[in-house]
Amino acid sequence: MGKKLWMIFGPLVVAAVVLIGLLFSPFKINRINSIIEKQAATSLSPNILKGDSVKKAALSKKYYVPFFGSSEFSRFDLTHPSVISEKYDWNFRPFLMGAAGTQSLTHFFQMQGVNKQLKNKKAVFVISPQWFVKNGADPQAFSFYFSQLQAVNFLQNQTGNESDRYAARRLLKISRGTEGTNSEVTGALQKVSQGKKLSGTEKTYLKYYKRLLSHEDQLFSDFSLKGGNEDKVNKQLKNLPDNESDSLIRQAITKQAKQQTSSNNFGIKNSFYNQRLKKRIKSFKGMEKNFNYTKSPEFSDFQLVLNQFAKDNTDVLFIIPPVNEKWAKYVGLSENMLNGFNKKINYQLKSQGFNNIVDLSKDGSKRYFMQDTIHLGWNGWFAVDQKIKSFIDEDSKNETHQLNDKFYDTTWQKLDPRDLNTYIKDN
Amino acid sequence: MPSLTPYENPAYFIMLAVAFIPIVIGMLWGKRFHWYEILVSLFFILLTFGGPKFEQGIALIGYLVYEVILVSLYNLYRKKKNDTWVFIIAVLLAIAPLVVVKLTPLLQTGAASIIGFLGISYLTFKAVQTVMEIRDGVLKDFNPWFFLQFMAFFPTISSGPIDRYRRFKKDYDTVPDREKYLGMLEKGLHYIFLGFVYKFMLSYFFGTYLYPKVQHIALQSHGLSWGLLGVMYVYSFYLFFDFAGYSLFAVATSYFMGIETPMNFNQPFKSRNIKEFWNRWHMTLSFWFRDYVYMRLVFFFMKHKTFKNPKTTANITYILNMLLMGFWHGETWYYILYGLIHGVALVVNDWWLGFKKKNPGRFPHNKFTEYFAIFITFNFVCFTFLVFSGFLDKLFFH
Repeated sequence: MGKKLWMIFGPLVVAAVVLIGLLFSPFKINRINSIIEKQAATSLSPNILKGDSVKKAALSKKYYVPFFGSSEFSRFDLTHPSVISEKYDWNFRPFLMGAAGTQSLTHFFQMQGVNKQLKNKKAVFVISPQWFVKNGADPQAFSFYFSQLQAVNFLQNQTGNESDRYAARRLLKISRGTEGTNSEVTGALQKVSQGKKLSGTEKTYLKYYKRLLSHEDQLFSDFSLKGGNEDKVNKQLKNLPDNESDSLIRQAITKQAKQQTSSNNFGIKNSFYNQRLKKRIKSFKGMEKNFNYTKSPEFSDFQLVLNQFAKDNTDVLFIIPPVNEKWAKYVGLSENMLNGFNKKINYQLKSQGFNNIVDLSKDGSKRYFMQDTIHLGWNGWFAVDQKIKSFIDEDSKNETHQLNDKFYDTTWQKLDPRDLNTYIKDN
Repeated sequence: MPSLTPYENPAYFIMLAVAFIPIVIGMLWGKRFHWYEILVSLFFILLTFGGPKFEQGIALIGYLVYEVILVSLYNLYRKKKNDTWVFIIAVLLAIAPLVVVKLTPLLQTGAASIIGFLGISYLTFKAVQTVMEIRDGVLKDFNPWFFLQFMAFFPTISSGPIDRYRRFKKDYDTVPDREKYLGMLEKGLHYIFLGFVYKFMLSYFFGTYLYPKVQHIALQSHGLSWGLLGVMYVYSFYLFFDFAGYSLFAVATSYFMGIETPMNFNQPFKSRNIKEFWNRWHMTLSFWFRDYVYMRLVFFFMKHKTFKNPKTTANITYILNMLLMGFWHGETWYYILYGLIHGVALVVNDWWLGFKKKNPGRFPHNKFTEYFAIFITFNFVCFTFLVFSGFLDKLFFH
């Protein structure tokens, strides 16, 4: 009977042992190579942001510079940083770590797995004013880029300080009601949010759960990678002059941009205008006059990111893009409000010692600066490219940061920029 | 307390494996621990109908109490008398909860009935079958306590296969000899892994991955389109692999408990005609309808000489039988139309087979015609599944 039983259940037992060994062993399953890294650098795929393995492999090289941002990264025109750095074979390539819908909170959690790689590294961070709406990050968009691995990484990194408690609270709130959340992880997050320490059992659980998740990530995260954006980059290469000369590049920009914005007076790319705006163009008139980017929980979420950068001693270049001015006038977006946002974000950055800021907010009226309504393109990208290149080339200035937890308060989130001077005096 | 839909995630299977260790050891030594089996059943029923789904759990308990009392009372009555009207009332009362559950969404625009729970229709089939066998006099040793265990047999409680009282009892009262039980274990494990391929790979691929894509394509071009054809095939494969996968799990789980629950599917897409299809597709359901609706209606019509021609009797009964199956699926136009089409198809099929018989040698019969028949049957079935899917409702009326 024993033999017969073994013939029936033996294969199952062996398979189970192998699988458990594979998923829970402490060994790393290394299958990330430079081809995968190259694809991932421009893929904008949620799997890359959700996982660790590809990011870790790429960012451990000096060659890849992490670019945090959002939907502007998908505007692959001839001066997109991924294109121009490839064409002129700069000594670095952007590793794009953002896509439509990623905001500060996503960036904070996706950084949790690569803190070691971000240490003393240079990074670029594009801040979109459009993130700073009344309710901040959209739960659905957040969940699209969120993984249990990010949560476990966070739980293992946290030390229970103000910033960690805020992050735990925020994560619990934004992921409430989403499926696939692990109840142990949720329990641990609740403890952290209340300022309690995690027990030994919880830590052990997290350790093995992380092994499982990491191995899944190592095995599968690059499965759905497609070279689609790599093709886009390659197609643009021929539009740049072979000679890296500013004036020739500007000519090429004008040539491409003029041709691609012929359908409208806003300087918006034809495909974008025709698909998204043309049919309802009348309804857009004055539509955004009540938009407000000055009061938002996003300010505190952004503080989480700053806090992490300071901890990792990452040298970050912050970029504040403008809004297409002609479009802003048409939809009635308040210039005053945008200035207010700018004042607030600049204060949050500079008062804590983040001084590498490329503020382009006044450049929204420049020719071919934006590719559409709010996204950088052509001359806008080129302006950014030059700043980034010199930033990467120069030695890291060792910035010292004076972080302040007041940026986690709702007082700050809801502060009217007109009251900023009084606020500074009082705090 | 979490709630797990049966056979849907790894945790459920791991719990099954652990809970079955004593059962398997007992069986191998020729012992059946009924009390332990009852505990395991209770645990898994609680797992399915507990926690956030406790309302369904209460509905299940209420339903079981009701059916046990009803069938027991009918059994007591049948020992003394055998009036047809009492029998009819007993059957009507047995299906009454199901009728309420099925009609509630229609009458209250989509609302689910509070007396409903996952699997109510499958339990109703078992109850009605028991009443009918008591009436026939073939089920003489009805036992309410055993009937309850038959009804609440957890491997098949949510979606069948639909077993029969006497068949189940035969397995339940005995322990298969070691040789046979080892064979059942081997088959059971094979079915579980085949079920994994069906349900978690193929059904996922067709249902979760492909189906939304073809639906999207079909919805973009109104009316008939290649996308719609895609929806038809993709849905059909999804439906088969999902349900066949589930059924394999249910049968395998029963085997581990020493119960040979009948199979539900036997390579249905290989059928050469629609009658053969119903002998291969959702078999326990179609056999149930054959034995307890079709045959009984035919006898009734013949006895009362309702129709002159036996062929007419058969044809009308086919359509009534399949229409009833349509109504059983739900009170929407597409389920009912699905039943009607299959009823008509069975009539046409009978006519065609008869026509061929009357004209021997007129039609060639070879490998090619057989493949052709399979091709026609398969495509026809897929078309009826497209109706069944409700996608046309979305496409035409929303």
